[in-house]
Amino acid sequence: MFNPPSFFWLLRHELRVLWRGSILVRTHRYVLLPTFIVAVVFQAVGLLVARLIVQHPVTENIMLLAANINLVFLFVLMFSRAMMASTDVIYARGDADFLLASPIPPNRVLAVRMLGVACSIVAPWLLLAGVLANGLAVCGSFWALAAYPMLAGEALIVAALAFALVVALVGRIGPVAARRAGHSLALFTGVGIFILGQAPRFVPQSTLAAFWTGLLPGQEGGGLAYFFARGLLGQRLPLLGSLACACLVFLFVWVFLAGPFARGTITAAGYRPSGREGVQQARFRHSASSTLLAKDRRLLVRFPGLFTQIVYRSLTLVPVIAILLGKVALGVVVTVPLLVFLAGQLGSFFISVLAVMDDMPQLIAAAPVAATAVPRAAFLASAQASLMVVALPAVAVMVRAPGLGAVLLPCLAGVLVCNLVLGRRFPIPLNRAAFGKSQTGTLLGLVLGVSVSSAWALLSWLILAPHPLAGVLELSAFS
Amino acid sequence: MESAWALRAQGLVKSFGRKVVDGLNLSIRPGELYALLGANGAGKTTTLRMIAGLTPPDKGGIEVFGWDVITTPLAAKAIMAWLPDEPLLYDKLSPLEYLEFIAGLWQVAPALARSRADELLDLLGLWPHRAERCEGFSRGMKQKTVLAGALIHDPKFLLLDEPFTGLDAASARLVKTLLTKHVQNGAAIIFTTHILEVAERLASRIGILCGGKLVAEGGLDELRGHTGFDSGTLEDVFLQLTAG
Repeated sequence: MFNPPSFFWLLRHELRVLWRGSILVRTHRYVLLPTFIVAVVFQAVGLLVARLIVQHPVTENIMLLAANINLVFLFVLMFSRAMMASTDVIYARGDADFLLASPIPPNRVLAVRMLGVACSIVAPWLLLAGVLANGLAVCGSFWALAAYPMLAGEALIVAALAFALVVALVGRIGPVAARRAGHSLALFTGVGIFILGQAPRFVPQSTLAAFWTGLLPGQEGGGLAYFFARGLLGQRLPLLGSLACACLVFLFVWVFLAGPFARGTITAAGYRPSGREGVQQARFRHSASSTLLAKDRRLLVRFPGLFTQIVYRSLTLVPVIAILLGKVALGVVVTVPLLVFLAGQLGSFFISVLAVMDDMPQLIAAAPVAATAVPRAAFLASAQASLMVVALPAVAVMVRAPGLGAVLLPCLAGVLVCNLVLGRRFPIPLNRAAFGKSQTGTLLGLVLGVSVSSAWALLSWLILAPHPLAGVLELSAFS
Repeated sequence: MESAWALRAQGLVKSFGRKVVDGLNLSIRPGELYALLGANGAGKTTTLRMIAGLTPPDKGGIEVFGWDVITTPLAAKAIMAWLPDEPLLYDKLSPLEYLEFIAGLWQVAPALARSRADELLDLLGLWPHRAERCEGFSRGMKQKTVLAGALIHDPKFLLLDEPFTGLDAASARLVKTLLTKHVQNGAAIIFTTHILEVAERLASRIGILCGGKLVAEGGLDELRGHTGFDSGTLEDVFLQLTAG
């Protein structure tokens, strides 16, 4: 059963490739231990939360609503990830053609690819949900273990639908644009969840309460709309029904795509030798420094998913704008740490993009330019890009409270310098621009970047509010 | 399946907005080493991809050792090996793991696969690196690894797209010897290259593609006949045939 070229043998290969390319394996060994410790702490917290849930039971209606909301959120979160993963395994990783050139039945390759996507998207959620499910099971609520098969089933549906959508999109608009569509969907999902999270700030409490009450299943149990939720809550028939439904959707998409995949039309859609001709502009320069800077700016602008990644990070600007517009009753001083944190995160991102996209350091090393010119240009381009996002709100803050500039500007400069230097050495994980190239960057880079941004934000906050707890007390008094 | 032809491709047409391959007929006998030459964008890679069963032709038929690539793709692929112009390697696998994987795909018996893998790794100078992950390999080492992968299942028909790219002189000589031995054992090879000296020395027949059409085919003397040259190198002939 596990001998080559069986289905399970191929699946084992697929999972090995996914595992070795995963963020955990690519990172430094000494990050694995803290990650393990964090996991243990999470499990302990999960156990505590589970005990609280068991000690304070809620009505079945509320449990059903909570289960349904979780399933819907997971669906949208997994879907955008599945779209990008599907684009990668069909077009980007570059081995689909290679497998299709072998005598393995193409439908087996397709099934393994789709299952691989399902495994990769569900793994982090299983780990997270598992924390609570295990805790509840330890407390005697064994029904919670249904989360494992239910999430796996949901991942099968999501992977199948995302695969079908990606194939349809690539056939019409090509793999690069399809991946962009995946990024955009992830952006909309992220922004949507953020806006929902902020709803209590803007929507009256009574309206929200009416909204949630309206969603409750009611006397008759909610019918089919709550079928999957009942499965998640461990009810046997809905659980089995949900799994059967997941397998059917997966099989349907697999059968539907098997023909074109075998004929090569799906993978061939990503192979277009004649290519679209872009508008090429070049301005030849005398100075090596300006040439390097221009190259870095171009690389930044052409990074796939640049816009969505910037918007993600810039969600920090929402509270800043709300404070500046007076929508939130917090002092303008709160905007300083927020802007410092944002600048640090942007700096870390932009320098990582350059570290990841600059494929040919040897080419520049062979040129008659000073060794320092290359990092200097990268720092400058990244700093410029970061400031382009932060500049306007920073100016607005200083117009509102001119005194804050004395803290804001040095802290912005400090966080940028630190994260640019750090990010060049330890880039954060990012997908490469060119197809066929694996992801680079490490978890360590991500952890360090966030830590440095947080440290500078905290520093600015401590300078401005010598007793930071006072701010918190003020806030709770207000609310 | 017995067949007098290793490859018979007839009336191949493929368009990607414009016609990349236009009514191409190609025949190769067992024991032949066929060089497919052409300028950039002439349709060489697309032709090889169609023969490998990766890009369905818009029109035309392809048979490899009697197996129809379009109607019986698995049987055709079982006797073929395709080497693309960019080495398709898993960065996170070692050469030995990669060869183990390829042997599994082509269902080579494990003991035979292991001995062939050892032999090929040794022959291509990859033995000291057999357990290292390919991500740190040079272009030449990657090329040698994928070549080993192409040969491990002893294919009857090899499609090689720019097989000598990145190889040093010693490795290139070694690969040429390997390929020559392979065709002497009854296999057939079609390869593309921009190094015309290699085509001139290695190939038993040469085809020249221009604008997706085969404009000339044969040995060097026959090609000269197409141009009216009595003497001259393949380079002279190629430039003459593909000019304008």
